[in-house]
Amino acid sequence: MTTTRMTGYDRSMLRLMNDPRGRPLYATAARRRLAVAAHVALTVAIGSLMTYFYLAKAEPMWAVVAVAVLFLPWAVATGAINAATRGLLELRERALDERQSAERSRVLAVSHRVMTLLLAAAVAGLLIAGASGGDALTAYAAPLLVAVLVPHWLMPLWVAGLMAQDEPVEDEGLAGWPRPSVS
Amino acid sequence: MSEQVHNRLAMVRAERKVSRQSLAEAVGAHYQTIGYIERGQYNPSLDLALKIAKYFGLPVEALFSLEPFRPLTDEVYGRKQP
Repeated sequence: MTTTRMTGYDRSMLRLMNDPRGRPLYATAARRRLAVAAHVALTVAIGSLMTYFYLAKAEPMWAVVAVAVLFLPWAVATGAINAATRGLLELRERALDERQSAERSRVLAVSHRVMTLLLAAAVAGLLIAGASGGDALTAYAAPLLVAVLVPHWLMPLWVAGLMAQDEPVEDEGLAGWPRPSVS
Repeated sequence: MSEQVHNRLAMVRAERKVSRQSLAEAVGAHYQTIGYIERGQYNPSLDLALKIAKYFGLPVEALFSLEPFRPLTDEVYGRKQP
């Protein structure tokens, strides 16, 4: 973490991402997995509703209302995962220390591998559907593109949430002690 | 590929009554990183190890070692290893 080059924005984001008030949401591995699962489910629900809204002949307004309602818990789940990772993906590189930078690289590498498999499965599925005849290839190409674009965007967040580790045991009793000076 | 690096950081930090947060701020790291180093879940870079050693005014080998540290009482009272 190179504090000298951090801007005011970096410092405020660093404070926000390390705010301990949300800790009950992500204190244990089970809660972090639950937050990621909820985020995936909400993303699928919102994506499905938006696809339905655009594909339906009569624009159903209830779908827009449902998306607006679901967006709030989706934002809360996003915040919980970001807080669990201490802003691993939200903070700029200069606001991370060496361990966090290495962790971010690891998360992005795992996400890349998962997305490669997902894209391969999507392409294979589309080609198989196209080979079976009809206009499946053209009909499903656009929805499928959106369906893989969203996980491509959010996969690092999900992977980071699942890879986050428990907080080291606190040593609150030492918080107020003086520190030796650096020579 | 990573080798286990043993450290006495938790002991020295407790002895000097320094919080993880204070140490982390002084060496430009996140307080969780200090915790992970103490738990042996993260091996610091040479740069960070030297900064931590400098903070405590100790040689780096007093804090970090490739071999397990002998118990401090053994070192102080000179008990031979069995």
